[in-house]
Amino acid sequence: MKVSVGFSQLQDHIQAVNEAAGQAVVGLGIANANMAFVFTSVEFAHILVLKTLNNLLGEIPILGASSSTIITNKGMFKHGIVLLLISFNPQTFFNVASVKDITEKTSHLSGKNLGDKLLYGFKDVHRSLSIIFSDKLITEGTNLINGIQESLGKSFPLIGASAADSFASKKTFQYFNTEMLSESCCGILFGGKFSFGFGIKHGWEALGKPRYITKSSKNIIEEIDDLPAVKLYEDYFAKDTLELAKELRHISALYPMGIYLQGEKEYLLRNIVSIRDDGSVITQGNVPEKSKIRLMISTEESRLAATDQACQEVKRNIEAQKIKFVMVFDSAARFSFLSRQSQNELSIIKRAFGDTPIIGMHTNGEQAPLVSINYLGRTYFHNQSINILAIGDQ
Amino acid sequence: MILTFMFFIICIIIAFLAISLIYKMQRLKELCDHVTTLNSSLEEMDEQAKLIMRTDIELNKTQEELDKKIVGLNTLQKLSREISTTLEEEQIFKKISSKYLEELGFEKSLAFLWKNLEREFHLYLCLGYNKEEVEKIKIAIDSGKNFYLDLMKSRLAASSVFIPEGFLPKDKINQIFTVNSFIFSPVLTQEGDQGFIFVGTQNTDNSLTKGDQELISILANQIGQTLDNARLFEKTWRSQQELEIKVEERTRQLTNALNELRDISKRKSDFISSVSHELRTPLTSIKGYAAILLTGKLGAVPDEIKNRLEKINRHSDELVHMVNDLLDISRIESGKVDMKIEELDLKTIVEKISDLFSEQLKIKNISFGSEIAENCQKILADRSQIERVFINLVGNALKFTPQNGKISIGANRIDKTIQIEVKDTGFGIPEDAQESIFEEFFRVDNAINQEVKGTGLGLALVKNIVEAHHGKIWVKSKVGQGSTFSFNLGAA
Repeated sequence: MKVSVGFSQLQDHIQAVNEAAGQAVVGLGIANANMAFVFTSVEFAHILVLKTLNNLLGEIPILGASSSTIITNKGMFKHGIVLLLISFNPQTFFNVASVKDITEKTSHLSGKNLGDKLLYGFKDVHRSLSIIFSDKLITEGTNLINGIQESLGKSFPLIGASAADSFASKKTFQYFNTEMLSESCCGILFGGKFSFGFGIKHGWEALGKPRYITKSSKNIIEEIDDLPAVKLYEDYFAKDTLELAKELRHISALYPMGIYLQGEKEYLLRNIVSIRDDGSVITQGNVPEKSKIRLMISTEESRLAATDQACQEVKRNIEAQKIKFVMVFDSAARFSFLSRQSQNELSIIKRAFGDTPIIGMHTNGEQAPLVSINYLGRTYFHNQSINILAIGDQ
Repeated sequence: MILTFMFFIICIIIAFLAISLIYKMQRLKELCDHVTTLNSSLEEMDEQAKLIMRTDIELNKTQEELDKKIVGLNTLQKLSREISTTLEEEQIFKKISSKYLEELGFEKSLAFLWKNLEREFHLYLCLGYNKEEVEKIKIAIDSGKNFYLDLMKSRLAASSVFIPEGFLPKDKINQIFTVNSFIFSPVLTQEGDQGFIFVGTQNTDNSLTKGDQELISILANQIGQTLDNARLFEKTWRSQQELEIKVEERTRQLTNALNELRDISKRKSDFISSVSHELRTPLTSIKGYAAILLTGKLGAVPDEIKNRLEKINRHSDELVHMVNDLLDISRIESGKVDMKIEELDLKTIVEKISDLFSEQLKIKNISFGSEIAENCQKILADRSQIERVFINLVGNALKFTPQNGKISIGANRIDKTIQIEVKDTGFGIPEDAQESIFEEFFRVDNAINQEVKGTGLGLALVKNIVEAHHGKIWVKSKVGQGSTFSFNLGAA
């Protein structure tokens, strides 16, 4: 496998694409690229960008997404385009697919459709991993994953990210070949000779006594310990609902809810997205009834330590002798807290992987398996985590 | 019997069970107490956790504020440095880039300056808006320009947290500029156009604080000062340009005048030369005929006529002498004389001069001396010309020094030149005449000059010869005390 990365911050998006593609093609040398991953900041989300790439790269599959921040070895940038070209080993197989116009009602079915499309051509091929990019679907993330798992298998490794938009509630975009999609999901399925390793951590610790979800439905928590769900936050922060609603995003990001998972060291985090009039809260991702939860707290050190732990987990999991590239899906919330120290996080990743090409973006939600045997490697929707995926030759 | 025994057994069993039950109940009570204690501890810890959370959130807020301020100050410092080194008005606003704006926490910015003549605001900075949006904003500003002018007059900033009285309401501003938070700050200058800078963001997460307003005010002040500097520089540069043009013009005028003077001087020299040539021929004839008549070859000449013929001869000689001097001066001025510069022995020349004037010195009992140091003996000059200089200077000294006086020649080495002095104890030269004595035909008004005729060309010739040797001549004199004529020549 051969890879090459191109990056540009030129103002003109066509010039930027040309510059990034030029760097990547030159870096690949005489090898032919089989596919491309592309991440861009929002102002580069333009159909011409994809069409230009398509022309320059010779109509190879293109997958990617727009985000508030893109990640490369050079740093984290709010403006720019980063492109990863891959020339696969002939014994590595892959397939790309997308599903469009995902709604609350159709998310599960859309997920299953995506899974079925990805499976096309994989009848006699051993499948290894699937990577997906979805819209910042707030409520349907879990259902989408469930749908994909219904097709690919409950324990099939699924790594993914929902695009971030700096909390500006603007559109996000997913790139699939020459199409610029929204409210969609695109993905790739790998198989054959292929090796990968991943690690997902967040760095939040539980604080306070455990509570129980006494009433919930999908991602709406109605009651905690038989009281309206919002009471938990009101109690801890001595603020009423109105005050909480003003600072909700901030408080929820700093002190998310953690779902206790048996056998897992880390809690599964959930951000509160909104508070309803009846005191129930809507979370970013499903929360099953009878789940044990606690409020979570973190420090800068614990968040950075989590990044390092994620890197070490990747290195433990991967079987490849040499890692060819690293893909980073980092929660946008972590970036907003780390602010001036955000480059430290990238330094930790670079220290762990040396000169290995790094490409990634900030996310509004991450998808990755839980490693504990209790969960049989099943993929869950995560919040506020850093999800690192390394890929290499077997 | 059996019944009694059985009854006894049953009682024992019941008693045993009762004791067991009591024990279990006690244990249960103890466990309940433990659970209650644990529950209270848990509740206490939970209360502490709440305290920790509440404290943590305040600390986080403070930390975020601090981080924001540090980033803001750092950005302001970088931006101020870039802005303050700009001397072109147009370039000042271009220094404010999207990168700096984002670091300050905004993504939109506009800057306008008020043009008094046109009575409208001109746009100087636009970030975060497309052309259509800018046009709409311009129209809105034009229609409400008094609000912005009043804000500038008040010298106050306006923002989402503070709207000065009389300014547009917050919602209206949000609508016009499509933002959720904003700051306006006047850009004030000492003279020239003033205006305002606007920054805004659609981000609802971070609310604006007074600190943000202060930062933007500092930035606006910096822009104002830099505009003043740029305008002052422009003014100074313009003045300098005008001055340079004037100097150029004046230099051209002076050059033209100099060229004219040179032309006149050349024409004068040419005139003198041609007139002198023309005069020589008839003078030679006059002298010749007078000499023939004096010899008596054409017949005896009475004494009266003989006197007059001798006067004619003498005057002709004087005229020839004057004409020759004029010709020499003219030739030297026009560079027609070939100077043969060679190494000469100064002592030898002075001795020659001393011999030449020995009789006249004897007659007037004037002592003649020389003081020439070892390192001053060799000079670079044209022999015949430099001898003429000495002849003229010593001749003049002799003429103007009374009986029993003193004439001396001295020499000093100064770097690569030899400074020669011809000193006398004569009548001296008045101060007001000391500059003019080197001019052609000038003669000091004194008793000697009234008695003894002269052309007034001797010192002019001496000056020309010295200057032709790239030297300089000057005089120091006091009436009644004597004069010192000094000139310098190149040392060998």
